[in-house]
Amino acid sequence: MAAGVSEKKKVAMEFAVTYAAAGALALACGAVFIVAFGGDVLVALGTVLRSSLGTWGGFAQTLNKFSPLLLASLAVAFGMRGGHFNIGVDGQIYAGAIGMTGTAFALEGMNLPWPVFVPLGLLGGILGGWFWGFIPGILRVRFQVSEIFVTVMLNFVALYLVDYLANGPWNDPLAGEAISLPIPDASVLPQVMPRAGAHAGFIIALVAAVGMYFFMTRTIAGYEIRAVGDNPRAARFGGINVARVTLIIMPTCGALSGLAGAIEVSGFHQSLLLGISGAEGAPNYGAMAILIAVIGRNNPLGVTIAAAVFAVLVSGSDSLQRSIGLPGAAVFVFQAIIVLTVVFVQARRNVRAG
Amino acid sequence: MTEKTAACVEMYGVSKSFGEVRALDAVDFEAAEGEIHALLGENGAGKTTLMNILSGLYRMDEGQIAIEGREVDIHSPQDAIAVGVGMVHQHVELIGNFTALENILLGREGSRWRLDVEARRSSVEELAANYGLSIPLDEGVKSLPAGIQQKVEILKALYHGADILILDEPTTMLTPHEVDGLFTILKSFARGGLTVVFITHKIQEVLDNCDRITVFRGGRKIDTIPREEATREILVRMMMGERGMPPEGERPTGPSVAREGEPALSVRGVRTSAKWGVPLTGVAFDVPRGLIVGMAGISGNGQKELAEAVAGLIEVEEGEVHIDGEEVSALSVAGRIARGMSLLPQDRIEEGILPGLSLAENFVLGLHPHIFRRRGVFEREAAHELGRNAIAEFNILARNEHVPAAHLSGGNIQKTIVARAVMLAHETGGKVMIANNPTRGLDVMAASFVHGRLRELRAGGAGVLLISEDLDELCLMSDRIVAIYAGEILGAFDGPEYDIYRIGALMAGQREEVS
Repeated sequence: MAAGVSEKKKVAMEFAVTYAAAGALALACGAVFIVAFGGDVLVALGTVLRSSLGTWGGFAQTLNKFSPLLLASLAVAFGMRGGHFNIGVDGQIYAGAIGMTGTAFALEGMNLPWPVFVPLGLLGGILGGWFWGFIPGILRVRFQVSEIFVTVMLNFVALYLVDYLANGPWNDPLAGEAISLPIPDASVLPQVMPRAGAHAGFIIALVAAVGMYFFMTRTIAGYEIRAVGDNPRAARFGGINVARVTLIIMPTCGALSGLAGAIEVSGFHQSLLLGISGAEGAPNYGAMAILIAVIGRNNPLGVTIAAAVFAVLVSGSDSLQRSIGLPGAAVFVFQAIIVLTVVFVQARRNVRAG
Repeated sequence: MTEKTAACVEMYGVSKSFGEVRALDAVDFEAAEGEIHALLGENGAGKTTLMNILSGLYRMDEGQIAIEGREVDIHSPQDAIAVGVGMVHQHVELIGNFTALENILLGREGSRWRLDVEARRSSVEELAANYGLSIPLDEGVKSLPAGIQQKVEILKALYHGADILILDEPTTMLTPHEVDGLFTILKSFARGGLTVVFITHKIQEVLDNCDRITVFRGGRKIDTIPREEATREILVRMMMGERGMPPEGERPTGPSVAREGEPALSVRGVRTSAKWGVPLTGVAFDVPRGLIVGMAGISGNGQKELAEAVAGLIEVEEGEVHIDGEEVSALSVAGRIARGMSLLPQDRIEEGILPGLSLAENFVLGLHPHIFRRRGVFEREAAHELGRNAIAEFNILARNEHVPAAHLSGGNIQKTIVARAVMLAHETGGKVMIANNPTRGLDVMAASFVHGRLRELRAGGAGVLLISEDLDELCLMSDRIVAIYAGEILGAFDGPEYDIYRIGALMAGQREEVS
């Protein structure tokens, strides 16, 4: 067992070195970028950190961004561990949002108390996302259609379905825009920090991350998923039913994303609208989730940390404009730099190791 | 030829490392014009690495190369061709959809070569005639037998101007008749002044065919000796060093020792579709309990498809597969494993291991539905304990059970897979073992380990199907040998003594005349 611990220590050291190097490199690149735009590096950094972590309101916003980012990233990471590239997170988030909203409207008249109503609503969202993941899964298993194409296409389908619902049957006539009627109060996710405005979504997301860790390492299904993701052919030779495993993987990805969408509706927007997947002016959650999964190496703990960093950056991005006149999108350039440096540093280390 | 002519190839102090592994350590090598020079050594001894450096595939870390007394820089295969070095690799590297002629000309004439195919036909034909190589130039290469494909490769090297011809394990894919034919040709090349270097691990080939022999062990050159001074014992000692040869193990006894009862494996008229590769056209044979049945055949004659059909990886269109008397054609792989089947796949990297998962997690693959007591729960402690025991019992070189399988050497990966199959057999009652080329690429010690385990399974009453391209291995191990050709079993031979030329004829598709 002692040997096992030292093995883990070594891996952890490697992790730490890689990320310290990548972080330093990313900061350096980011600094060059900020200076080139005539900004002050320290001011910029301070502004982002203060506005995302330094005030209660800002911290609450960061938490609210953290939950969909983490869930969406877990969805990507879960697929990657099983060897499937899920780029349909956005569609699955919309499907989850539809599931949540639909459930809320359907049960509206029943006067359910929130401890019953909220879980049912979230379950509706999970099922919506699950179904959106089941479609590429079954097409993959039955007809060998690449899940990459199917998930991309389903993104559009879900987007226009939301468009239709928010403008059509569920439209709020008083709002005068593409937005649904608000969901009933009892289906709204409770606030953890009512004054600052943080809902309970981040707790659910953290539970999901812990759950994924245990599922992957302590269940036979998780083992089979990792085996298939590592070498599907060898897994088949070992008697694993790859088709069945695929039909666990893709719908579970969808369910995790669907939960993200449901939380966005139930906790944040409280109605269905376009633009649920991602803040205005920012990349979609689906795109960011892929980056986070890469940085976090598809490991629930790593993904949680990376999602937290991204949540800070996203939530701090607005203040950049105000403080130093940099466009808020500068933060996303910075995010891209982090991802590129991590990938670069990893690749360098792999070259030296191999 | 006893009088040494001028050295044609000289290599001095050649070193090459891959990562932390020193594949070649300050090796000197020299081959003379007009000789057949054997490079003998186990897998991993460094002989192929040295020749890959000479032919421009690898760059050496240190060292010098001189061709005909002039120092040369070889940085690419083009450089090697320019100084007259041509190499024929172990696995054919021709373009299957092109004709033999197109393959021979390919790369020779720049971008306009296609226009010149016909114009150059006569020069290729002339060259082929000079060297006594008869090749159907207009046939698609894909449809040619391995022996002919190899001749195409040789002619291609000669056409590209090689006067130093390197052949890497050239006999692995050939029948005994084809092997004889190959050496007849190589000897005539040498008489004509070409330098032939051939890489092998088979001592008998060396003794039968070479002028001089250079032996490698562990990345070092041991010595170069002329044929007259070489005996089997001397060569074995040079190859193996102090370790000596592994114990031979008991010889097969022939089919008379088969145990009573239903055969362990019964394949009855199995046909498979062409979409899975070589179609099987009604394969039928039994593997009785307590016997090793060897399957002889040249690679690509349906062995892989047969193993996969028996294992349940590909669908059987017609016919039946019985394990221990039970018809299993409709069962999944896992279902067959549960009934006592274990499988050593042909490609240990692609089909055998989960490279990114730990050794412990690799050992439990296939066993996992059987060993965990709590339903659905992956009991990590149980897996780790199994891993620790397997590493100790099977003598696997690994730091511990947590290292990823990808960190192991080829021999240890194969030991891991064998260990898993053996544990599986213990767990499920071990009725049938299908071993598809289980020793390919292994050194003598590791191969002996695998053979020992297969014999143990036989002694325990399992039926073992041993598929191999190495007739020597089959003769050493099998109580019975069946020959497969183009998806069909052409004949069966009872051991323990075998006539390899008769088996070889069947491997080449020549049906036996009824005598």
